[in-house]
Amino acid sequence: MIKKDIPFREDTAKYFLPWMSFLMVFIAVLALTGGFKIQNILNTWQIGVSGSMTVQIPAYDAQGKSREAVLDEEIEQVLTILRSSEGVLGAEVVSDEQMKALMEPWMGGELDIQLLPLPKLIDVSVDAQNLPNLTTIKSELAKQVPSAVLDSHRIWLDSLLKIIHMVIELISFVLVLLILTATFTVMYSTNASLSVHQPVIALIHMIGAGDFYIAIQYAYRNLKLIFAGGCFGLLASIGLVFLISYFTRYLFVDFYPNAVLDTLQWGLILSVPVWVGILGFITTYLTVLKYLKRFL
Amino acid sequence: MIQSNKLTNPVAEFNGVFLRYPGGHDVLKEIQLTLEPASFHFLTGESGAGKTSLLRLLYLNHLPSKGRIRLFGQAVDTLNRRQRTLIRRKIGVVFQDFQLLEHLNAFDNVALPLRIEGVRESEVKRHVTELLAWVGLEKQLLAYPDTLSGGEKQRIAIARAVINRPQLLLADEPTGNVDDELAKRLLYLFLELNKLGTTVVIATHNKQLIKHFGFPELHLKEGRLEVIPENKYMDMAMKLFARGEKHD
Repeated sequence: MIKKDIPFREDTAKYFLPWMSFLMVFIAVLALTGGFKIQNILNTWQIGVSGSMTVQIPAYDAQGKSREAVLDEEIEQVLTILRSSEGVLGAEVVSDEQMKALMEPWMGGELDIQLLPLPKLIDVSVDAQNLPNLTTIKSELAKQVPSAVLDSHRIWLDSLLKIIHMVIELISFVLVLLILTATFTVMYSTNASLSVHQPVIALIHMIGAGDFYIAIQYAYRNLKLIFAGGCFGLLASIGLVFLISYFTRYLFVDFYPNAVLDTLQWGLILSVPVWVGILGFITTYLTVLKYLKRFL
Repeated sequence: MIQSNKLTNPVAEFNGVFLRYPGGHDVLKEIQLTLEPASFHFLTGESGAGKTSLLRLLYLNHLPSKGRIRLFGQAVDTLNRRQRTLIRRKIGVVFQDFQLLEHLNAFDNVALPLRIEGVRESEVKRHVTELLAWVGLEKQLLAYPDTLSGGEKQRIAIARAVINRPQLLLADEPTGNVDDELAKRLLYLFLELNKLGTTVVIATHNKQLIKHFGFPELHLKEGRLEVIPENKYMDMAMKLFARGEKHD
C-alpha cells in the first residue's frame, strides 16, 4: 500500500497539475483526432486514385481533321509503352460501347458516338503497391506518340499529399511540444512541492525511508492528479470533436464517411490520459530521486 | 555500566574525526570514540560544544570532513544509499525540537518507523497503542501535535524513536520539557531498551539525571571529546532499576 506521510494537501500542485493535464490532453486529443481524420481521408483518396489512370489520344487534330489513319498505329504504340512499364497491371482501349454508356446520362440513349470528336481512351490499371514511374511513361509517350495525353490523378494528388504531410508533421511537432511542456511542468511542480515539504522529507529520510518510499508517494499522487485532469480533458476534447463534426457534416459530406476513426485510432485517443499519467508518474519519480540525492 | 558485548563489532567507532560545516570552522576536532553494544552514555557539554553535531554524525545526517566513522562495523563513507538507509533503520533519534509531523496524529507519528519498515498494520496498531500507553498518552492517540503540550510532544518523539527497538538510540535533550518525575520515567524507558541490548547516547544538561543514573559521560569542550567514566551512583541506580523503582 502506498503510504501518505507527506502532507500534499498543503501544496498548490493539487490545483495546478490537473489543469495542466486537462489542457495538455485536450490539445493532444484534438491534434490526434485531426491527424487521424486527415490520414484516413488521405488513405481513401490514395486507394481511390492510385489504382488507375487514363491515356487520351485525340481522334481529330487541332484543325478538326480526322486522324483515323494514324490512330490505330498510335494506340498500338501507347499500349506497348504502357504494358512494358513496371507497375502497370493492364491497359485496355475503352470501347465505343463503353464510351456510349459513359455519355448516355448526358447525351441520351440515341447517341451516335461516331459523330462526336471524342478522343480514344486507354484505361490503365496500376499496381497500388508498386506504382509506375509516371515521368518515364510521360517522356516515352511524348517521344513516340506526342499527341497522347497521360491523365493521372496521382499528379495532382501528389501536390495535395505534400501539403497534408506538412499538416501531419505540424501535428506531430505540436504533440512533441506538448510532451516536453508536460514533462517540464511536472518537473517544476514536483520540485516546488519538494521544497515546500523539505523538512518532512528530511525527517522521513532520517528515520530510514528509502528513496523509493518517498518517490513513489509523490509519483502516485501526481499520477492521480494528472490522470483525473486528463480524463476531463479527454471528455471535453471528444465533446468538441463531435460538436465540430455535427455542425460541419454538410460542408464536407464527401469526406466524412472516409474520416471515420477505426478501433485502433479510438483506442489511442482514449488512452491519451493514461499515457500522460504514465509520463507524469515517471517524470515525478525521477525528479524526486534526483532531489533526494541532496540528502546523504 | 551495562556490560558491553566484546564479541561483536562496536556500534560506532570514530577515528580522528573532524567536522566542519561549509564556510565554518571545525565544530568537532579529532574525535576518538568507541560505543560498544549495549552501552549507555550521556553526552554533555556547553551549548555550542558540538553535541548535536556529534549526534548528526551518528545518525548519518553528515559525513565527517576528516577521519573515519564505522557504524555497526561498516565504514560509512563506503556505503551506498541503500546501505545507509538500512543503517538508519537501526538508529532511533529523539530530536531536541521533537520534529513531529504536524499533519499526522500521535498514533501515526509513532507508527512512522514501523510503516517505513513495512510492518503489518495489525502489528503496528498493537505496538504503537502499547507504547503510547506506556508513556502516558493512551488517551491522546488521535491528537495532533499542535494540540499537545511540550512534554506530550516530547513523549511522542521518544516513543517514535524507540518503537522499532533500535540498536542505537540517540536523544538530544530528551527530558528538556518534562518535569523531573517524568524525566526519570523516560530515562527508565531508555534503560529498559538498553537492557535489551540497545546502545544509548543521551545529550543532556541535566546534571541531576546524570548523577542519578551514573552512566559514563562523553563530554565535549570546544569540539574535543573527553570520556568521563561511570560514577559511583551507578550501582545504586541499577539496584533501583532492578527493583523496578522509578524514584530516588
